[in-house]
Amino acid sequence: MTNLTMTMSPHLLALIPLAVGINLALGQIAAVTHLPLFLDTVGTVLVACLVGTWAALATGFFSQLVFTVVSGNFTWLWFLPVQLAVAAYAGLAAHVGVFRRPWLTLIAGLGLGLLAASMSWPISFFVFGGVTGGGATVFVALLRGMGLTLGWAVYLGGLVADLLDKTVTLLLVRTILVSAPARMAARFPGARRTIGEA
Amino acid sequence: MIVEYQAGHGILHRAHPFTNLTLVGSVAVLAFVLPAPGGPLVLGAALVTLAIAAGLVRILLPAAVVVAPFWGFLLLIHGLLGGEPLRALTFGGRIGTMVLGFLMLLVTIHPARLVDALVARRVPFAFAYLLSATLQAVPRLRDRGRQILEAQRCRGLRVRGSLFRRIGAIVPLTVPLVLGALAEVDDRAMALESRGGGRAVRRTPLDPPVDTMADRSARWVMAVGTLVAVLLQVLK
Repeated sequence: MTNLTMTMSPHLLALIPLAVGINLALGQIAAVTHLPLFLDTVGTVLVACLVGTWAALATGFFSQLVFTVVSGNFTWLWFLPVQLAVAAYAGLAAHVGVFRRPWLTLIAGLGLGLLAASMSWPISFFVFGGVTGGGATVFVALLRGMGLTLGWAVYLGGLVADLLDKTVTLLLVRTILVSAPARMAARFPGARRTIGEA
Repeated sequence: MIVEYQAGHGILHRAHPFTNLTLVGSVAVLAFVLPAPGGPLVLGAALVTLAIAAGLVRILLPAAVVVAPFWGFLLLIHGLLGGEPLRALTFGGRIGTMVLGFLMLLVTIHPARLVDALVARRVPFAFAYLLSATLQAVPRLRDRGRQILEAQRCRGLRVRGSLFRRIGAIVPLTVPLVLGALAEVDDRAMALESRGGGRAVRRTPLDPPVDTMADRSARWVMAVGTLVAVLLQVLK
């Protein structure tokens, strides 16, 4: 991280805070629609597509740090590895061209949901006893009440939410990349290349 | 709920930012290392005492608001459904202690003071800048998100109704926000470049926080104490 921040261009220094702001602002938009979505990684995935993996990792790092600071809820910081994994996965996905076709993006979104759920459940289970205070905890309590073991209840609760959220996130980023004006896209090296138009 | 810096003159306000950071780091480790459920609860009581002594009584209510849903669900899942109330108490003590410690950190360190302390310790300018610029960008983009929501509603967008209608509402709400933010990047990059923002040279903070002998001693005591507790737990 230190090496990266030592050599960051002004362009990247300007982009990352805005991407983090997008991550946090879209959360409130998702809440308005009453959908079980977080949309808190859209900025991270977008930076992975526009610039690359290292910049996305920095965006994920600052997103989780600032989200923790702004919410005053220290528990969010424990999920930093999940944000970093999302950034790395998105960088790889952009590199191999999954944003070139909507159906490829859809499959990659399901894969990302599986990865995020698989990474977050040990943190939820071992550190917080399966309780993270979010809406998914209600689902965990329901599954527990139905007789599932706590481990499975925590995993399935997270899986349902993450599959939907990460699929919508990747499809949304593709929509943004496709609808970006040509002059704007020309300023970012990966904007057109990621969707196979360069 | 948004918690932010609150001016004050208590012991934690006067301390060097790194001392408060060390305190929170130690608390986060000790909450898991000390024997449960007694250890985290005693640690929590010690933090409450410190908060009162440091003139931070006003953060106890926000801390309770953050922690209450955790305790409620822990009681439900472990206590009522799982039949393990001690487990609920253990996790509740750990979470409560960590949340309180972190809130004490948030209300006693001004972000600009933390950035000055980081720059004075030769942390790269880019890292310090990203931290402070991000904290400033978040409320601005949230406000813009609210404005876009109101504007789109005025144009007839419905954000309630069937599942498909609500999913369909996401694109007209998010795309303008994201493209608007991307349009800002060039202006900001130019402003940064004109101020030498991308150069890897050392900055000198105008008024860095004073790192006293008491601060340094307190950090050493906390770090060594935490390390000893970890070693004792590992060797047990």
